[in-house]
Amino acid sequence: MGLLSLLRKLRSSSDKELRIVLLGLDNSGKTTILKQLANEETPNITTPTAGFNIKSISSGNAKIRPYWKNYFENTDVLIFVVDSSDRKRMGESTDEFNELLKDEKLRSVPILVLANKQDLTSALKSSEVAELIGLVKMKDRDWQIQACSAIDGAGLQEAMDWICKWVKK
Amino acid sequence: MIFLKNFFNSLYLFFRPLIKWFLHRFTNLCELQRLCYGAHSGYKRCKLVERSLNLSKKSQIKHLVYCLNDLTSHPMSDSQIQSEIVDRAINTVLLVKKINPKYHPGFPPSFGRCVEAIYGYRRLVTIIEDLRLEQYDPNSEVHERKLMALWHNLMPDVKLEGRITKQWQEIGFQGDDPGTDFRGMGMLGLENLLYFSREYPGTARHLLCHSQHPKYGYTFAVVGINITHMAWRLLKEGHAKAHFYNLLRTGTRGYPTLEQFHQFYCYLFYEFDSFWINAKPDNLMQFNNVQDKFERTIRKVSDRENCLFKMNLSVENV
Repeated sequence: MGLLSLLRKLRSSSDKELRIVLLGLDNSGKTTILKQLANEETPNITTPTAGFNIKSISSGNAKIRPYWKNYFENTDVLIFVVDSSDRKRMGESTDEFNELLKDEKLRSVPILVLANKQDLTSALKSSEVAELIGLVKMKDRDWQIQACSAIDGAGLQEAMDWICKWVKK
Repeated sequence: MIFLKNFFNSLYLFFRPLIKWFLHRFTNLCELQRLCYGAHSGYKRCKLVERSLNLSKKSQIKHLVYCLNDLTSHPMSDSQIQSEIVDRAINTVLLVKKINPKYHPGFPPSFGRCVEAIYGYRRLVTIIEDLRLEQYDPNSEVHERKLMALWHNLMPDVKLEGRITKQWQEIGFQGDDPGTDFRGMGMLGLENLLYFSREYPGTARHLLCHSQHPKYGYTFAVVGINITHMAWRLLKEGHAKAHFYNLLRTGTRGYPTLEQFHQFYCYLFYEFDSFWINAKPDNLMQFNNVQDKFERTIRKVSDRENCLFKMNLSVENV
């Protein structure tokens, strides 16, 4: 069973829809994470997402980033994905991340940052990612950093555990 | 409904040997001969011959099918098709079914054409899969040259300022390095786009122009890579068989080629563009929705026996 259905079951007692928004730059691994969570067979065969994936928003395309905010209403948890191996784009990632934090609709929404692509030797450690994007300084909301590797699913169980804690509340 | 279909299918499979024996007695022809003489050429005949071969209980035919499947799952040259596939299949069937070509001169060429189409298709799937698995490599000079050629074909009047630049977004890549956008489609995605922009530059630029529309715009290259994904799925799942088998009646070669796959891609991209504009989407967030609808429409047509997709190149001539 996919981790997503696990989450759905957990929530089945209440009628309220659960909204988890998954964001990040292009090529950070959002579609692969989503496929891995939904237990789809071929998480490694992806194409760049034009538009967004139905299970949540998931496309890092610069052209559609302005539309991200249309989906922020009633967000329960925000997941932000970072390609830990792409040092060159860490700045761009940080800029987008800070832009998100300013959004009124996302105020006090708990944030989970996934330091993805840990399977690559060039990947930064999750603590380094947290430092670089300014997570450590954040005091006004709950946050968590989780190292993961979407391609083999490592770290995603822990990520879902953290989300489940929030869903139960 | 599905239950009923399965029921009749098992019933047919159960009585198949009896029916075959009966028909053989009265027509003096084996099933493959009856198909090659009776069924319409093109997709219908190929489909029935394929089924007949796969269902055969004769050990020599089973072995033949196993060998042909194995051969076509590895790379093989065009010239090998005749000797390794067609001649081999004809010889085995003539021998096993005790058919004398002197008395049945029409059978070997007709059966050969079916075999060439069926296993040529399987070979094409292998060729396409190999291209797809070849990852875009920025250190490869060949790959980089192809990427630059794509820019030049689409934007002949604009100079690219560097290899890593925001300019790539003008032709619909995501960031400043297109190398990361090919992903699961690998070099197949680039080869498809390159073929389209090289063989039909007018049409490709016309679509690029559509993609830059302020309201109905889309990301040209990224959507192109998603169309590659769709073409690849249709081919691999066998939904493109009717198109490719029927196409062989019009061409000079007896087996589907890589070029024909590229043309199939161009057709899909061109049709998707019209479909997208007709759907009047609010913005790019509608993409998956529109693409799903488009794919359903194509699948409905592609499973018809007489399906043959023809690209309407009105734009090219303007």
